Amino acid sequence: MLTYLQFSVIKFRNNMAYRFEYLMGILNTLLNFLVYWCIYKALYAGAAEVDGITFSMVATNFIISLGLTNAFSKNEMFLHDKIKQGTIANELLKPVNFRMRMMFEDMGDGFFKVVFNFLPAVIISLLFTQLQPPAGVLNLILCLISTVLGYLVLWNISFIIQTWSFWLFSVWGIVTVKNAVINILSGALLPLWFMPQPVLDFIKFTPFDSIFFTPVQLYLGQLNGADILFNFARQIIWIVILYFIGDIFWKRGLKKLVVQGG
Amino acid sequence: MKDILQLFCAYAKTGLKSRFQYKLDAIAAIFAVFFREASGIIVMYLALLKFDSINNWNINELLFLFSLIFITYGIFIVFFMALRDFSDWIKHGDFDRVMLRPRGLLTQLVLCGADWLAAFGHGTLGILLFILSANNVGITWNAVTITYYIITIAGGVLIQGAIFLFFSAVSFYFIETQSLKEILYWNVRKFAGYPISIYNKLIQSILIFVVPFAFVNYFPAQFFLRKEDMAAYPQWCMYITPLVGVVLYVLAYAFWRYSLRHYKSTGN
Amino acid sequence: MSDTIIDVQNISKTFKISKRVKGLGGMVANIFYPKYEYKKAVNDVSFNIKQGEMVGFIGPNGAGKSTTVKMLSGILHPDSGSISIAGYVPYRQRKEYVANIGVMFGQKSQISWDLCAMDSYEVIKHIYKIPDKKFKDNVERFVDLLDMKSFLYQPVRQLSLGQRMRADIAAALLHSPKIVFFDEPTIGIDVVGKEKIRGFIKTLNETDGITMIFTTHDMQDIEKTCQRLIIIDDGKKLYDGSLDSIKCNYVSSRIIEAEFEQLPEAIAIDNVTVSDVEKNKMKKLLSFDNTKVNINSLMSQLLNSYSIKDISVKEPEIDSIIRDIYEGKIIVGRKAEEG
Repeated sequence: MLTYLQFSVIKFRNNMAYRFEYLMGILNTLLNFLVYWCIYKALYAGAAEVDGITFSMVATNFIISLGLTNAFSKNEMFLHDKIKQGTIANELLKPVNFRMRMMFEDMGDGFFKVVFNFLPAVIISLLFTQLQPPAGVLNLILCLISTVLGYLVLWNISFIIQTWSFWLFSVWGIVTVKNAVINILSGALLPLWFMPQPVLDFIKFTPFDSIFFTPVQLYLGQLNGADILFNFARQIIWIVILYFIGDIFWKRGLKKLVVQGG
Repeated sequence: MKDILQLFCAYAKTGLKSRFQYKLDAIAAIFAVFFREASGIIVMYLALLKFDSINNWNINELLFLFSLIFITYGIFIVFFMALRDFSDWIKHGDFDRVMLRPRGLLTQLVLCGADWLAAFGHGTLGILLFILSANNVGITWNAVTITYYIITIAGGVLIQGAIFLFFSAVSFYFIETQSLKEILYWNVRKFAGYPISIYNKLIQSILIFVVPFAFVNYFPAQFFLRKEDMAAYPQWCMYITPLVGVVLYVLAYAFWRYSLRHYKSTGN
Repeated sequence: MSDTIIDVQNISKTFKISKRVKGLGGMVANIFYPKYEYKKAVNDVSFNIKQGEMVGFIGPNGAGKSTTVKMLSGILHPDSGSISIAGYVPYRQRKEYVANIGVMFGQKSQISWDLCAMDSYEVIKHIYKIPDKKFKDNVERFVDLLDMKSFLYQPVRQLSLGQRMRADIAAALLHSPKIVFFDEPTIGIDVVGKEKIRGFIKTLNETDGITMIFTTHDMQDIEKTCQRLIIIDDGKKLYDGSLDSIKCNYVSSRIIEAEFEQLPEAIAIDNVTVSDVEKNKMKKLLSFDNTKVNINSLMSQLLNSYSIKDISVKEPEIDSIIRDIYEGKIIVGRKAEEG
């Protein structure tokens, strides 16, 4: 376990070297947030609330989901490149579980970005907008736990699609479509409170609302008692399901690689 | 002239051949770009189911507004991809090769690079949005409106070309501008997608005077739609997009020539 | 008699390089008060090249070779001095001038990676407005001379390095330029491939009279193709003449390798340094300066005094000569200028 944590630390330290890129990341998050802030301000047209949702709740939803989208963004062609260039073989020769290593590296990366992209973006946005404070310390803690779980859901979805590089020429198109779908259905671009009911019903059967929406709801204190447990359970169940699907594809892909060579 | 056309066709042929080597992958990628851009529109559509309108623009009017951005971008990226990626060219010394060929430098850059993927992805979306909205927003399509539509598209292409030409010239001085440029361009474009009247004065000024996207879609759309929020701006803004395009392009070109001289005397 | 086609007079080029200051504090200071260093990359260089000549440009990295070539090709303009090539001033009449030159970069391909070489040639045809017949003839001829028939229609990414370089050389010559610049044309290629390329280049020079200029680190390239050598170091021209001249006139060190039947206890001859040969106790190297020691008398002395099994005279290796020139151990004077 310690070895894997070391990978996270190394990635964390590497990132410090690419300061300019990360500053750009903050700017990117801010500008993204700003567009939606302006759009919803115009949509609200001064109304105090719509369907029981206030404007500052909407703003909070966006800063959390857009900020996390940016913080969790990573090179999703990683596995694809390694497979096409043949370097995957070197990786598999090393005495560490490649998949675990990938996950811990990405987590280190994500954690770095949350601290150095997301938080500064939040602080800067407070200069011009009102955000909802967390409903309580407990809520904040639950939100943080839920964010980690949400990240794992995202990561596993990404991993599954990356394994398809074993069979496809390029996964770039699929990755792009996947991200667009997640952006829509996870509430990142349209708060799920405003989603038409039929679409919401559909989303409930997918892992998508377990990514950003659960943490947002916890933060705002919209969930109580049994609901909290229920939502955590959903996140964990999805992580497990997605993990095993990823495992199947990964093992099949490796087999194909070994049989066919390079 | 014919010779320029021939050169463009030669480049286009190899560009398309290269991109479509794996047909399935190319089509999947085009669809991916299409869907990625469309996701913003889908979300807007769903939001307007709840909110009805934004600053009194309904969904059809918004689609018409969006279509102008996508159509102009689709055309623009056929000619200006090399300028979009210009700082990479300089960084890798690829521009030297351009200088070794007996053709105009800008001519080569404009003719040689087309991002066909983006052109088809954005272009198809733009045309689709236009088809969906053109007859639902109260426009009478006659000789005048059709002509204006065409020249305003051309103007929009020139404006975006001028922006990229300007940034390319800047690359002669500072090579590491790529990520800043990308962030600024793509985010500003996101802002430009919506009627600029929803923003505060500062953002509006940026969209009108600094990176004049307002002239690519908002003001031309107002020419056709005449929404109430146009009252906040001088009326002649609706007519001058083609002029803005030409003027900006000429200015950017002058700056490009000047920067080129600087590059030739300092190298990299 | 051929005419001068390249006339370079006293060119100089100075670059302003921003000084990198270390540390975060330095970085910030650098944004507001940038410090610069001036580097004279080319310092008063002059030479003439006649039509049809094959000239090699060598020099250590950072010597100013590529800057000089960039000025010759019109990419940079010199701070002072003049350049006239084929009647043009390269940096002033770029478009017209470059139609007459070809440039091949060994490390930077100009043909498309995804497509086959022929596809790239078609594009080049349009860029240079090559007439149909000339294009067809050149392609046929180069394919034949460079043995490209087997891979002309294969995607370039599938070709070996040697094949790709050959395709690149052909690309540079398609428009029948009068002058060609080669930058590291054989880098990374195996021995057989190198021979093919050198052979092609020599043939073209002989049959078409194309003036050719090489910048390279590969001394064998120079030895086997060029008659003339220009050495540039630290922005200055150190030598301009033939390879043989250097060997004869400037390097007087010789080495005799002798294999003894019986190893003598000690070999002591005036002005001769004796050193061992690794892995062979019976061999010795005798180094001497052939201006101080007469080689004939040394040879007879050895053969008479010792029982020699085998003996050979080694010429100085071109690589070590050049290295010595770079390092200033051998000074080449202006009297060597020819041509």
